[in-house]
Amino acid sequence: MTRLVVDPLTRVEGHGRVELLLKEGRLYDVKVRLLESPRLFESLVVGRRYDEVPDLVCRICAICSAAHKLTSLQALEKLMDIRIPTTAAVLRELLLLGGHLQSHALHLFCLILPDLCGTPDLLVLLQRKEPLAEAGIRLKAFGNHIQEIAGGRVVHPVNPVFGGVAYIPDKQLIDGLSEELRHWQIYWPDLYQQFLQLGNYPEAGPVLGNPLATGLQEAFSLNGESLSYGEEQIDCSGYAQLLGERSRADSHAKDSNGQAGPFLTGALARASLAAGRKLRFDKPAERFGIHGNNLAQASEIGWTLRRIGQLLETLRQADRSEPLRTTLKQANGGVGTVATEAPRGLLIHHYVVDEWGKVVAADIVTPTAINQRVMAAQILADLANEKDHERLCKVAERIVRAYDPCISCAVHLVQVENSSEKGLSCQKRSK
Amino acid sequence: MKLKPPINLAWIRFTSCSGCQLMLLNCEPSLAELARIVAIRDFPLASSTLGKNTEIDIGLVEGSITTPSELERLLAFRRKVHLLVAVGACALTAGVNSLVRGERRQAMTKVYAEQGDDWNTFPPQPVAHFVKVDGQIPGCPPEPGELLNSIGTLLNGGWAGHQVMPVCMECRINENPCLLERDRAPCLGPITLAGCNARCPNLGVPCEGCRGVVAEANRDELCRLFKTAGLTDQDISHRLERFGETT
Repeated sequence: MTRLVVDPLTRVEGHGRVELLLKEGRLYDVKVRLLESPRLFESLVVGRRYDEVPDLVCRICAICSAAHKLTSLQALEKLMDIRIPTTAAVLRELLLLGGHLQSHALHLFCLILPDLCGTPDLLVLLQRKEPLAEAGIRLKAFGNHIQEIAGGRVVHPVNPVFGGVAYIPDKQLIDGLSEELRHWQIYWPDLYQQFLQLGNYPEAGPVLGNPLATGLQEAFSLNGESLSYGEEQIDCSGYAQLLGERSRADSHAKDSNGQAGPFLTGALARASLAAGRKLRFDKPAERFGIHGNNLAQASEIGWTLRRIGQLLETLRQADRSEPLRTTLKQANGGVGTVATEAPRGLLIHHYVVDEWGKVVAADIVTPTAINQRVMAAQILADLANEKDHERLCKVAERIVRAYDPCISCAVHLVQVENSSEKGLSCQKRSK
Repeated sequence: MKLKPPINLAWIRFTSCSGCQLMLLNCEPSLAELARIVAIRDFPLASSTLGKNTEIDIGLVEGSITTPSELERLLAFRRKVHLLVAVGACALTAGVNSLVRGERRQAMTKVYAEQGDDWNTFPPQPVAHFVKVDGQIPGCPPEPGELLNSIGTLLNGGWAGHQVMPVCMECRINENPCLLERDRAPCLGPITLAGCNARCPNLGVPCEGCRGVVAEANRDELCRLFKTAGLTDQDISHRLERFGETT
């Protein structure tokens, strides 16, 4: 028996490792291990006041800090039955989409493009003055610029506050963003075509996993009242049962765990669910397999730019004398669960608050935690016939990278490791 | 000591959110210039080049230390690095990671069910508890310019100057209304190290103290003001402990 180890996984966010086990030269088992140290966010918010939570949990992850902050705010606002002013909702969505733009640009042009060009990193491409790399980082800078203006800071935004937002950016800043946006609306279609034409993806089999996303209106939405997978749509409060996250200590529930899963979440899942509902969206060709997730991300950038245009227009028209924040007279206790689409997939925040406004329990399910189950299974399926050790390691790493994993986010990591093994056993049974 | 380009640069990350290294990647207009003067020897988020045994000129450390294996990696890193720079709140004060109260084992079990029990971990510690730190860059996250500034000044043979005044002074320079006075908001500007140009108060958001405490901070007076503004003892201690302060 041979054991190949890719450690650390590079050009992914967080600490991770892949172990490939070979018997008689053939891959027969894969372990994707997320080695992020425990940070215990769900435990550290317990006993704290509800309005402290968003500032703390956005520190789960820098790349997804806007998504974490907004999802936690929405869950707590839902719990206390607070409606935020329209302008605040527009600014929040703008912030989230700025985050999507920067995260997708970071992933496609800083982390994936080096694979497509055969270099170890982006800096080598920048030294060569590779036009795609240069344009990619400018696009990433635009996403960050949106986050900075709508959120106050590129990482760990401060503008979203309980009940709304703290400020509305100056008109000149909004106009400046519109100006930049016009450039990208003209330039992006060509850049997109250039990106699509880059071949050099590893040979890939069919995509595994049941696509899962928020109840989609279009490509993705901040409005996460429901979860959708296949033909099904459920209220997001049913997430625990659906994902089986809670059931791990309970042997009875473990069987139901595999029924609808393992799930796939992220750009490709959003694209295939949108296509199933005949929403306007490109679904990448099947021959790219899981690497089509990166093409779906690229396609989403186009959608995101259009949506950002609408939001900026709304902001230009906004009545600046309206309040930006709904105040809460007294904290109410309750249970709040919402799901949003973070750049790399479905993000669920769930809180229980007592009648004095103190957090009693918290649960956060991140996209990478959900995807763990299919990641290992996909490596096993795609590389079943590969014998060359170097290629095995290289392609396994590229498969993991294709999911745009965010290991810092995957706070449920021990459970996740377990579920990847579960994914594998499902895979074995089906063979 | 003046460093000659290309400078061998490594970034090592422990328990953190990756925000500090992301802030470096967020300096988009300067990345091409950076690529000209540094050679990346180890930076897993950005590069597949892993120079395990090379000597490193500048080693940037992000995150707090929470497991024995992180400690081993930190010690090994220190041995091959000429200048070790601790970056961000987690590396400097252990950051928000250290807010877990009570028995760590119990918290582990709560979050990670039964598997949490055998995880080898200890309460988050700042990097300086274990190794010599040559330079510090504060913030959660640091300001993007600070990272470039530090690398640039090291290249020219020195350390970037750092602020000694509180955020409160930057606020005055910017002629902001005082949030503590006007809104009775729990603003930590009076005791927090400046250098962000009062980023949050400029926007009407009270300072949360992410850059750590300034020397000779008058905590007692701030607590008195907070009490006058109607904050309870618990609110005050929660506000202060977010970035490692106590009342």
